[in-house]
Amino acid sequence: MTQTISRKNLLAWLSRLLEHRLLIAPTHTAEPILFRPVSKVEDIIFDFDNTAISPKEWFFPATETLFWAETTDGRIELVPATLEREAVIFGLRPCDAKGLALIDKAFLAEPADTLYQQHRDKTVLVGLSCRKAYPQCFCTSMGTAPDDPSYVDILLTQVEEDYIVQIITQKGKALLPDNLLVKSEVVAPPPPSPSVIPAEGIEEVMRQVFDSPYWSRLADRCVHCNLCAYVCPTCYCFDIRDYESKGKIERVRSWESCQSPGFTRQAGGYDPRAGKAARLRQRFYHKLLYFPESFGAIACVGCGRCVMVCPVNIDIRELIADIQKIGGPNVP
Amino acid sequence: MEQQIRHKAKELLEGRTVECVIGYERATDGASARPLFVYEPEEVDKLIFDQTCTHNLVKYLLDKKEKTTAIIVKSCDSRALNLLLNEKQIEREKVFIIGVVCPGMVETKWNQVSQRLQPRCQLCRQHTPLNYDFLVGEPPAEEAPPAETYADVAEMEAKSVAERRAFWSEQSKRCIRCYACRQVCPGCYCSECFVEQLQPSWVGIRIAPAENEIWQTIRAFHLAGRCSGCNECERVCPVDIPLSLLNRKLEKEVWELFDFQAGLSAEAVPPFATFKKEEALGIGE
Repeated sequence: MTQTISRKNLLAWLSRLLEHRLLIAPTHTAEPILFRPVSKVEDIIFDFDNTAISPKEWFFPATETLFWAETTDGRIELVPATLEREAVIFGLRPCDAKGLALIDKAFLAEPADTLYQQHRDKTVLVGLSCRKAYPQCFCTSMGTAPDDPSYVDILLTQVEEDYIVQIITQKGKALLPDNLLVKSEVVAPPPPSPSVIPAEGIEEVMRQVFDSPYWSRLADRCVHCNLCAYVCPTCYCFDIRDYESKGKIERVRSWESCQSPGFTRQAGGYDPRAGKAARLRQRFYHKLLYFPESFGAIACVGCGRCVMVCPVNIDIRELIADIQKIGGPNVP
Repeated sequence: MEQQIRHKAKELLEGRTVECVIGYERATDGASARPLFVYEPEEVDKLIFDQTCTHNLVKYLLDKKEKTTAIIVKSCDSRALNLLLNEKQIEREKVFIIGVVCPGMVETKWNQVSQRLQPRCQLCRQHTPLNYDFLVGEPPAEEAPPAETYADVAEMEAKSVAERRAFWSEQSKRCIRCYACRQVCPGCYCSECFVEQLQPSWVGIRIAPAENEIWQTIRAFHLAGRCSGCNECERVCPVDIPLSLLNRKLEKEVWELFDFQAGLSAEAVPPFATFKKEEALGIGE
């Protein structure tokens, strides 16, 4: 037995949510579809492959103030940033939800990043299963699936005009009133099958190919922009700067990426990853070896955004296949 | 065309005339193209050339200053190459230019190749590269000198200051400061970009409307009289900011003021690299 919500009731529910919460959903900005606050449900796009930028921007924003510092009577007072508004993210894909679960591992490990924690606590995730596997998708190779309910509070799966509702957490249960749901015999269609890449055992292979000339050849082509990192649902590097205005200090953090020149430059001027090949290699070592070593999972969810946006087609799917060949068991 | 390119590349690599040939190969989507660096003669069969080869490869020459390199250039790319020669960033003897007579590039995105020519290619009247050592393809019998048409720029100029301001604010609001525009631009080669300078700090790290506008504006001004119109910045922008409109506005200004367009000749002296007394424009009077 499953429970479903009709499209009409879904829209009515979302309209009601809008009244007292920030409702963030896929919507058209100028051209790209992005997660943005909507003011009416008509602006929500239900039929889309995925947004140009991952929903991580609502938990780890491109820029945010961490705290303010002020000196009063010779005492320094720190005022941390606090979030007031409760939010709902509607329509996020299971892969992107897994992306958040991975960032959690880094940001919520003790000592937790309190601002990120607030974003997570005050936001309910309403996921939307994928009805199609898009050409860029490879989520099943990265340990998730088009209908994976593991990382959302509520998962909706469209079946014709209705949606199968899976309520996963208490947070989800509290958000969606029972009276909008009906018991149903509807069976979810089999999930689509995204393309499969040879990710099995990649950690071990990565240990063997650190000094391969592969990296400098790949770096020939890379233009070292930050695009892959900024669209990625699992990249979480940032830069911090203090701004001073009228005696008040504001500490701001903004997205940064390991591809930037100077990302690892130290105060004395030395940069251990000054070379382009070292920078590019770091990106993939972090995803495919260092993050798994620290947190037990590959830092990629197979959303394929980086594959789509890379100006020069640095393709992680191809890279994984290449690395498997280079570092395979036959290599001395 | 492809056969000619492969043949020449093989000859250059086998004869050790060059260390590397920079060209194009098919991308992983099986439809669009991507840059390719060929070091071994056996690899030349990967080289392709068709209407998807839109990337301007000239920027890569800045990474190959020490080695002799062959590069495939279209006409617009040859302007960028001339720009780097004009600005003494590369040595002519270290580059072997394989020019291709350009059929015009079609609009491509990952996994999407349209039949439609890119807007810049619809306007283009110069199909033969302006500088090359070896030419691939048949140049048209007669070519009009390259001249930009500025219909969209004029349309923007006709708007009020408030309207223009609103338009550009809206555009820069979407910017995520990924710097893809800078990274692909052949004119952006500063060893330290102004956005990364700390003393003084010209623009903050906030990825926010005010800072984004400063970034976009200063970058555009740095390219005044230097942009060769390859449009790579606009192609790679993930949030579709119409950067060519900004760049071509400045190109038009420089054209009207100095009768100059970037990269038309390998020997040109760029207007901002020279000074004539009569250009004092009343400063100090």
